[in-house]
Amino acid sequence: MDSEALSSVFLSREQIIRILSETPVGFIKPTNPATPSLPPFKKLGVLVEIDEIVGDQEKAAKISDIRDKEQSYSCAECRRMLPTAHLLDLHITEQHDLYFAASVDRGDKPMFCCFLEECTTKFQTPRQRKDHCIIVHKFPANYRFDQGKDKPKEKRHPKNKSISMEVDEVPSEVKCFPYIKAFSFGHQTHRTFYTRKDQKSQGETLDDVQSLKDAINDILD
Amino acid sequence: MASNPNPPLENSVLRSKIREYARDQRLECRIKAKDSLRIGLGQVKKEVAALESLDTKDVLGLAGRIKRRKHATSEDLCRLSLAFLQGNDNINAFAAIPGAIQVLVKELTGPHIQRQIDAVECLCNLSLGDAHVSEKIASLAGSYMVTYLDGKEERLKRSCLWTLSNILATCDKAGRILLQMQLVPKCWRLYSDPNGCQEDAGICLFLVVTHCLHHVSAEDRSYIAKTMHDINPQESGSEYFMYIIHQLDIVGQDHELGASQAECLLHFFENTLSSPVESFNIIYGVRVMANLVAIGNPKLIGGLADPQNFIKALNQLFALRDSQLNMDLMRLLRNYLHLNILDSNLLLDNLQIYA
Repeated sequence: MDSEALSSVFLSREQIIRILSETPVGFIKPTNPATPSLPPFKKLGVLVEIDEIVGDQEKAAKISDIRDKEQSYSCAECRRMLPTAHLLDLHITEQHDLYFAASVDRGDKPMFCCFLEECTTKFQTPRQRKDHCIIVHKFPANYRFDQGKDKPKEKRHPKNKSISMEVDEVPSEVKCFPYIKAFSFGHQTHRTFYTRKDQKSQGETLDDVQSLKDAINDILD
Repeated sequence: MASNPNPPLENSVLRSKIREYARDQRLECRIKAKDSLRIGLGQVKKEVAALESLDTKDVLGLAGRIKRRKHATSEDLCRLSLAFLQGNDNINAFAAIPGAIQVLVKELTGPHIQRQIDAVECLCNLSLGDAHVSEKIASLAGSYMVTYLDGKEERLKRSCLWTLSNILATCDKAGRILLQMQLVPKCWRLYSDPNGCQEDAGICLFLVVTHCLHHVSAEDRSYIAKTMHDINPQESGSEYFMYIIHQLDIVGQDHELGASQAECLLHFFENTLSSPVESFNIIYGVRVMANLVAIGNPKLIGGLADPQNFIKALNQLFALRDSQLNMDLMRLLRNYLHLNILDSNLLLDNLQIYA
């Protein structure tokens, strides 16, 4: 009786074979939208309480400083704090590694890694990396943790130097000294050297020095 | 008669130092333990009676203030957070002010962790708004929130994940921007690590595959396929695992699965069978198994290659009498028979499928 009852409850072999013949074989493709009901998701915010922590403000600030240091990655060389290990790694390599700098100067292979650890692309210049991050990863143009920000300034430096070298070669008439502002320290009478005057008598530098010394002696007396 | 070894002055200095140390420790613990309560848009007015009511005027005033000063104090950020929770009008009013979100981004990227947390919680409440607000947040602050997912501070990571989840659930375009910022591998890494953020990372991935599946790149999928073996079914958020794997089509013709990845999937499936779980999880578990069997390599299915284990598992699942599940189970059975591991009659005779 029991086996008969069971056989009426369960499908027979033939019935299963019939169903199987109608069932396709192979991979089940992802369904979009998902067919079974999904767990519901409700957008939620955060309830923040003002003045949650009562205590000495100075102490709290001190603890906050310690926490900032503990929870960030800081460079041992320049103490710059960065939020992730990857960004710190990039900073140390690009700012403090001489071997890296030499490799960049040689320029035979791309050296600058993407700001995103998961992206394996490398670039010849920080500018190329920045463009890549903006175009491909939709980063803002002024990404705060950009390591290559100082590079353009460094590039400008040699230019300035070359200009200054040229200036040295130019005849001394063209030289112009900056106007040094007089310091009064609260006193109305200005006691200072008027440097513009010196420009008029050029080529007499030794005499000028002597006159300056005399003037200082006068003031001291 | 016995003389005191420590003079009283030294004692008092020591005591005061210990007291000071204990006080600092308490304060530090209190800062760390400061938790956050999650609440829906507008719900705060019903739940918290003694709440300061902030309207659009207040929001405009606060926004003007933080823009003028170029910095927002913690109090400003907290008041803005509260204002956003109170209604969509406040959110829209703030989002319409040019340069206001940028001030929040400035605080988010500043050097102080607490200010970063305050800023991201403010953005979290702002993300309760409509699609255009989510899009603004994603493009202005998304890269930083995604970056912070690799950071050390747990609360900051959690708040970033909450904000990202709200954005993903709201706007497809914002979701695409976030995926371009490599959100998927970062979330997957958090989901794999036992760090306390697995549940939130799992929800984020769940929303990605539900709302932005067509934006997920082939690189993201292959990253998941390669690092799948790290997931533990006992960890929180594991209920989303099979759904994510199935929707991303990880077990398919495009990805070559290794033994360790297949073992991880089998482990998850066995875990699903052993513990009472939702039908959602079982259905996707069966679909993933059907695809694993469809690969056609008996070595990949481990213990399920043994007919006794396979029949036991199938009978257990057919006993649930779920019509949706039964269709997928039939597919699994068909794929299994296609492997030609054993005599099909022997298998079919032992199956107990309810009529």
